[in-house]
Amino acid sequence: MSAVLDEVLARARGLVGEWESEDCGVLAVKDFCRYAAALNDVGYLRRARAQEAAGDEVAAPALFLAGTMSWQDGPVEHELRPDGLAVRESPCTEGLPVRQVHGGQTVRLRQAPVAGTRVTAARAVTSADLRQGRTGDFVLLGVTTRFTAQDGAELMAMDETIVVLEGP
Amino acid sequence: MSGAPAAGQVCPSRSYTHSPVQLFRFSAVSWNSHRIHYDAGYAASEGFPGVVVQSTLHGETLSRRALDWAGPGAALESVSWRNRATAVAGEPLTWTGTVRAAEPCDGGTRVTLDVAVVKGDGVPCVTGLVELSWRAGRTSP
Repeated sequence: MSAVLDEVLARARGLVGEWESEDCGVLAVKDFCRYAAALNDVGYLRRARAQEAAGDEVAAPALFLAGTMSWQDGPVEHELRPDGLAVRESPCTEGLPVRQVHGGQTVRLRQAPVAGTRVTAARAVTSADLRQGRTGDFVLLGVTTRFTAQDGAELMAMDETIVVLEGP
Repeated sequence: MSGAPAAGQVCPSRSYTHSPVQLFRFSAVSWNSHRIHYDAGYAASEGFPGVVVQSTLHGETLSRRALDWAGPGAALESVSWRNRATAVAGEPLTWTGTVRAAEPCDGGTRVTLDVAVVKGDGVPCVTGLVELSWRAGRTSP
Protein backbone atom coordinates (compact mmCIF):
# COMPACT_ATOMS: atom_id res chain seq x y z
CA MET A 1 0.00 0.00 0.00
CA SER A 2 1.23 3.54 -0.77
CA ALA A 3 2.13 5.95 2.00
CA VAL A 4 -0.65 8.26 0.80
CA LEU A 5 -3.38 5.64 1.06
CA ASP A 6 -1.87 4.48 4.35
CA GLU A 7 -2.34 8.01 5.68
CA VAL A 8 -5.93 8.19 4.39
CA LEU A 9 -6.71 4.88 6.06
CA ALA A 10 -5.13 5.94 9.36
CA ARG A 11 -7.02 9.25 9.41
CA ALA A 12 -10.30 7.58 8.49
CA ARG A 13 -10.00 4.86 11.10
CA GLY A 14 -9.35 7.55 13.68
CA LEU A 15 -12.65 9.17 12.75
CA VAL A 16 -14.87 6.08 12.66
CA GLY A 17 -17.85 6.59 14.90
CA GLU A 18 -17.12 10.28 15.56
CA TRP A 19 -20.40 12.04 14.75
CA GLU A 20 -20.41 15.66 13.65
CA SER A 21 -23.62 17.67 13.52
CA GLU A 22 -24.35 20.48 11.12
CA ASP A 23 -27.25 22.92 11.05
CA CYS A 24 -28.81 22.72 7.58
CA GLY A 25 -30.94 25.78 8.29
CA VAL A 26 -34.66 26.24 7.77
CA LEU A 27 -35.99 24.59 4.62
CA ALA A 28 -37.58 26.95 2.11
CA VAL A 29 -39.96 26.51 -0.80
CA LYS A 30 -37.60 28.56 -2.98
CA ASP A 31 -34.82 26.03 -2.47
CA PHE A 32 -37.18 23.12 -3.16
CA CYS A 33 -38.36 24.76 -6.37
CA ARG A 34 -34.87 25.53 -7.63
CA TYR A 35 -33.87 21.92 -6.98
CA ALA A 36 -36.95 20.69 -8.85
CA ALA A 37 -36.31 23.14 -11.70
CA ALA A 38 -32.80 21.75 -12.16
CA LEU A 39 -34.50 18.38 -12.62
CA ASN A 40 -36.99 19.89 -15.11
CA ASP A 41 -39.83 18.91 -12.75
CA VAL A 42 -42.49 21.39 -13.83
CA GLY A 43 -45.23 19.49 -12.01
CA TYR A 44 -43.49 19.94 -8.67
CA LEU A 45 -43.08 23.68 -9.24
CA ARG A 46 -46.78 24.16 -9.95
CA ARG A 47 -47.89 21.95 -7.07
CA ALA A 48 -45.53 23.46 -4.50
CA ARG A 49 -46.41 27.05 -5.30
CA ALA A 50 -50.14 26.22 -5.28
CA GLN A 51 -49.78 24.53 -1.88
CA GLU A 52 -47.85 27.50 -0.55
CA ALA A 53 -50.47 29.94 -1.83
CA ALA A 54 -53.20 27.88 -0.17
CA GLY A 55 -51.32 27.88 3.13
CA ASP A 56 -50.72 24.14 2.98
CA GLU A 57 -47.53 22.32 3.92
CA VAL A 58 -45.00 22.03 1.12
CA ALA A 59 -42.92 18.87 1.17
CA ALA A 60 -39.44 18.85 -0.33
CA PRO A 61 -38.66 16.81 -3.43
CA ALA A 62 -38.09 13.29 -2.08
CA LEU A 63 -34.29 13.30 -2.41
CA PHE A 64 -33.71 17.01 -1.74
CA LEU A 65 -31.80 16.43 1.50
CA ALA A 66 -29.75 13.56 0.08
CA GLY A 67 -29.02 15.42 -3.13
CA THR A 68 -27.64 18.49 -1.41
CA MET A 69 -23.92 17.96 -1.04
CA SER A 70 -23.21 20.67 1.50
CA TRP A 71 -25.15 22.97 3.81
CA GLN A 72 -22.26 25.30 4.48
CA ASP A 73 -22.25 28.93 3.34
CA GLY A 74 -18.83 28.45 1.79
CA PRO A 75 -16.06 27.89 1.23
CA VAL A 76 -14.96 30.69 -1.06
CA GLU A 77 -13.19 29.70 -4.27
CA HIS A 78 -9.59 29.98 -3.11
CA GLU A 79 -10.33 27.57 -0.27
CA LEU A 80 -11.48 24.79 -2.61
CA ARG A 81 -9.28 21.85 -3.47
CA PRO A 82 -7.94 21.79 -7.06
CA ASP A 83 -10.75 19.43 -8.06
CA GLY A 84 -13.32 21.91 -6.75
CA LEU A 85 -14.34 19.97 -3.67
CA ALA A 86 -14.45 21.59 -0.28
CA VAL A 87 -12.25 20.12 2.42
CA ARG A 88 -15.27 18.96 4.41
CA GLU A 89 -16.62 17.06 1.41
CA SER A 90 -13.34 15.25 1.25
CA PRO A 91 -13.00 13.50 4.60
CA CYS A 92 -9.58 12.21 5.65
CA THR A 93 -7.76 13.50 2.56
CA GLU A 94 -6.89 17.14 3.30
CA GLY A 95 -3.53 18.01 1.74
CA LEU A 96 -3.02 14.58 0.19
CA PRO A 97 -2.60 13.87 -3.56
CA VAL A 98 -5.70 11.76 -4.07
CA ARG A 99 -8.71 11.49 -6.33
CA GLN A 100 -12.13 10.62 -5.03
CA VAL A 101 -15.04 8.90 -6.72
CA HIS A 102 -18.51 8.38 -5.37
CA GLY A 103 -19.04 4.65 -5.05
CA GLY A 104 -22.74 4.53 -4.34
CA GLN A 105 -25.47 5.47 -1.95
CA THR A 106 -28.43 4.16 0.01
CA VAL A 107 -31.17 6.58 1.04
CA ARG A 108 -33.98 5.61 3.40
CA LEU A 109 -36.84 8.08 3.66
CA ARG A 110 -38.59 8.27 7.03
CA GLN A 111 -40.67 11.44 7.00
CA ALA A 112 -41.03 14.03 4.26
CA PRO A 113 -39.31 17.29 5.24
CA VAL A 114 -41.55 20.31 4.83
CA ALA A 115 -40.78 23.97 4.32
CA GLY A 116 -40.24 25.81 7.58
CA THR A 117 -38.52 22.86 9.27
CA ARG A 118 -35.08 23.40 10.77
CA VAL A 119 -32.96 20.38 9.88
CA THR A 120 -29.79 18.99 11.42
CA ALA A 121 -27.46 16.60 9.64
CA ALA A 122 -25.29 14.28 11.75
CA ARG A 123 -22.47 12.67 9.80
CA ALA A 124 -19.79 10.11 10.59
CA VAL A 125 -17.26 7.93 8.88
CA THR A 126 -18.51 4.42 9.60
CA SER A 127 -15.90 2.28 7.88
CA ALA A 128 -12.52 2.50 6.17
CA ASP A 129 -11.02 -0.42 4.29
CA LEU A 130 -8.18 -0.98 1.87
CA ARG A 131 -9.29 -2.69 -1.32
CA GLN A 132 -7.56 -3.92 -4.42
CA GLY A 133 -9.02 -3.04 -7.81
CA ARG A 134 -8.06 -3.74 -11.40
CA THR A 135 -6.02 -0.55 -11.54
CA GLY A 136 -4.50 -0.71 -8.09
CA ASP A 137 -5.21 -0.18 -4.43
CA PHE A 138 -7.84 2.20 -3.10
CA VAL A 139 -9.44 3.09 0.19
CA LEU A 140 -13.18 2.58 0.51
CA LEU A 141 -14.79 4.93 3.01
CA GLY A 142 -18.28 4.44 4.40
CA VAL A 143 -20.07 7.60 5.51
CA THR A 144 -23.49 7.79 7.16
CA THR A 145 -25.63 10.92 7.44
CA ARG A 146 -28.81 11.19 9.48
CA PHE A 147 -31.18 14.12 8.97
CA THR A 148 -33.48 15.11 11.81
CA ALA A 149 -36.08 17.84 12.35
CA GLN A 150 -36.03 20.23 15.30
CA ASP A 151 -38.51 17.99 17.16
CA GLY A 152 -36.07 15.09 16.89
CA ALA A 153 -37.99 13.23 14.19
CA GLU A 154 -35.74 11.37 11.78
CA LEU A 155 -36.35 12.53 8.24
CA MET A 156 -33.84 10.51 6.28
CA ALA A 157 -30.81 8.27 6.68
CA MET A 158 -28.14 7.95 4.05
CA ASP A 159 -25.15 5.66 3.64
CA GLU A 160 -22.51 6.53 1.05
CA THR A 161 -19.32 4.93 -0.13
CA ILE A 162 -16.39 7.02 -1.31
CA VAL A 163 -13.50 5.55 -3.27
CA VAL A 164 -10.15 7.24 -2.59
CA LEU A 165 -7.41 6.66 -5.17
CA GLU A 166 -3.85 7.94 -5.24
CA GLY A 167 -2.92 10.86 -7.52
CA PRO A 168 -2.67 13.01 -9.46
CA MET B 1 -48.38 0.79 -14.59
CA SER B 2 -51.39 -1.32 -15.49
CA GLY B 3 -52.71 -3.88 -12.98
CA ALA B 4 -51.08 -5.11 -9.80
CA PRO B 5 -47.29 -5.37 -10.03
CA ALA B 6 -45.78 -8.85 -9.93
CA ALA B 7 -42.25 -10.16 -9.53
CA GLY B 8 -40.50 -10.39 -12.86
CA GLN B 9 -42.59 -7.69 -14.49
CA VAL B 10 -40.45 -5.54 -16.76
CA CYS B 11 -41.18 -1.80 -16.74
CA PRO B 12 -41.14 0.10 -20.02
CA SER B 13 -37.65 1.54 -20.45
CA ARG B 14 -37.11 5.29 -20.72
CA SER B 15 -34.42 6.94 -22.86
CA TYR B 16 -32.99 10.38 -22.17
CA THR B 17 -29.86 12.53 -22.08
CA HIS B 18 -28.57 15.09 -19.58
CA SER B 19 -27.51 18.43 -21.08
CA PRO B 20 -24.40 20.30 -19.88
CA VAL B 21 -26.76 23.05 -18.69
CA GLN B 22 -28.67 20.58 -16.52
CA LEU B 23 -25.46 19.26 -14.98
CA PHE B 24 -24.33 22.80 -14.19
CA ARG B 25 -27.69 23.72 -12.67
CA PHE B 26 -27.86 20.50 -10.64
CA SER B 27 -24.35 21.15 -9.32
CA ALA B 28 -25.41 24.67 -8.41
CA VAL B 29 -28.57 23.76 -6.52
CA SER B 30 -26.89 20.87 -4.74
CA TRP B 31 -23.82 23.01 -3.89
CA ASN B 32 -21.57 20.44 -5.57
CA SER B 33 -18.52 22.29 -6.87
CA HIS B 34 -16.55 19.29 -8.15
CA ARG B 35 -15.16 20.51 -11.49
CA ILE B 36 -15.76 17.29 -13.42
CA HIS B 37 -19.47 18.21 -13.50
CA TYR B 38 -19.24 21.63 -15.21
CA ASP B 39 -15.64 22.21 -16.42
CA ALA B 40 -15.11 20.20 -19.62
CA GLY B 41 -11.38 20.98 -19.69
CA TYR B 42 -10.91 19.68 -16.18
CA ALA B 43 -13.06 16.62 -16.93
CA ALA B 44 -10.82 15.92 -19.96
CA SER B 45 -7.74 16.17 -17.76
CA GLU B 46 -9.20 13.32 -15.72
CA GLY B 47 -9.83 11.28 -18.85
CA PHE B 48 -13.54 11.93 -19.32
CA PRO B 49 -14.97 12.77 -22.78
CA GLY B 50 -17.33 15.39 -21.33
CA VAL B 51 -18.71 16.80 -18.12
CA VAL B 52 -19.72 13.96 -15.83
CA VAL B 53 -23.25 13.15 -14.64
CA GLN B 54 -23.49 13.46 -10.86
CA SER B 55 -24.06 10.28 -8.89
CA THR B 56 -26.93 11.96 -7.07
CA LEU B 57 -28.53 12.90 -10.39
CA HIS B 58 -28.46 9.22 -11.33
CA GLY B 59 -30.16 8.55 -7.99
CA GLU B 60 -32.88 11.04 -8.88
CA THR B 61 -33.37 9.36 -12.25
CA LEU B 62 -33.56 5.89 -10.75
CA SER B 63 -36.27 6.91 -8.30
CA ARG B 64 -38.21 9.41 -10.42
CA ARG B 65 -38.60 7.03 -13.38
CA ALA B 66 -39.77 4.33 -10.96
CA LEU B 67 -42.36 6.71 -9.50
CA ASP B 68 -43.45 7.68 -13.02
CA TRP B 69 -43.97 4.00 -13.79
CA ALA B 70 -45.87 3.41 -10.55
CA GLY B 71 -48.29 6.29 -11.06
CA PRO B 72 -50.40 8.26 -8.54
CA GLY B 73 -50.44 7.06 -4.95
CA ALA B 74 -46.92 5.65 -4.91
CA ALA B 75 -44.28 6.99 -2.55
CA LEU B 76 -40.55 6.47 -2.44
CA GLU B 77 -39.41 4.45 0.58
CA SER B 78 -35.76 3.97 -0.29
CA VAL B 79 -33.30 4.01 -3.14
CA SER B 80 -29.83 2.55 -3.31
CA TRP B 81 -27.37 2.39 -6.13
CA ARG B 82 -23.81 1.54 -7.01
CA ASN B 83 -21.82 3.55 -9.54
CA ARG B 84 -20.28 1.29 -12.18
CA ALA B 85 -19.33 3.49 -15.15
CA THR B 86 -19.19 7.20 -15.89
CA ALA B 87 -21.84 8.94 -18.00
CA VAL B 88 -21.31 12.34 -19.57
CA ALA B 89 -23.55 15.15 -20.82
CA GLY B 90 -25.22 14.45 -24.14
CA GLU B 91 -24.72 10.70 -23.90
CA PRO B 92 -27.82 8.60 -24.69
CA LEU B 93 -28.92 6.81 -21.52
CA THR B 94 -31.76 4.43 -20.73
CA TRP B 95 -33.55 3.78 -17.45
CA THR B 96 -34.59 0.18 -16.92
CA GLY B 97 -36.62 -1.40 -14.16
CA THR B 98 -37.87 -4.87 -13.25
CA VAL B 99 -40.12 -5.79 -10.32
CA ARG B 100 -38.15 -7.90 -7.86
CA ALA B 101 -40.91 -8.26 -5.27
CA ALA B 102 -44.39 -7.04 -4.46
CA GLU B 103 -45.76 -7.70 -0.98
CA PRO B 104 -48.38 -6.38 1.43
CA CYS B 105 -47.32 -3.77 3.99
CA ASP B 106 -49.24 -1.66 6.53
CA GLY B 107 -52.52 -1.93 4.69
CA GLY B 108 -50.90 -1.27 1.34
CA THR B 109 -48.32 -2.72 -0.99
CA ARG B 110 -44.56 -2.45 -1.15
CA VAL B 111 -42.80 -2.98 -4.45
CA THR B 112 -39.06 -3.46 -4.88
CA LEU B 113 -37.61 -2.74 -8.30
CA ASP B 114 -34.22 -3.65 -9.72
CA VAL B 115 -33.26 -0.49 -11.59
CA ALA B 116 -30.38 0.66 -13.74
CA VAL B 117 -29.16 3.45 -15.97
CA VAL B 118 -27.59 1.92 -19.06
CA LYS B 119 -25.32 3.45 -21.71
CA GLY B 120 -25.91 3.13 -25.44
CA ASP B 121 -23.58 0.13 -25.66
CA GLY B 122 -25.46 -1.67 -22.91
CA VAL B 123 -22.92 -1.00 -20.17
CA PRO B 124 -24.64 -0.06 -16.88
CA CYS B 125 -23.65 3.30 -15.34
CA VAL B 126 -25.50 2.62 -12.12
CA THR B 127 -27.46 -0.33 -10.79
CA GLY B 128 -29.62 -0.41 -7.72
CA LEU B 129 -32.93 -0.94 -5.98
CA VAL B 130 -35.94 1.30 -5.50
CA GLU B 131 -38.60 0.56 -2.88
CA LEU B 132 -42.04 2.10 -3.40
CA SER B 133 -45.19 1.80 -1.34
CA TRP B 134 -48.87 2.39 -1.80
CA ARG B 135 -51.06 2.81 1.24
CA ALA B 136 -54.83 2.92 1.42
CA GLY B 137 -56.19 6.46 1.27
CA ARG B 138 -53.07 8.03 -0.18
CA THR B 139 -53.72 9.69 -3.49
CA SER B 140 -50.42 11.33 -4.27
CA PRO B 141 -46.78 10.68 -3.51
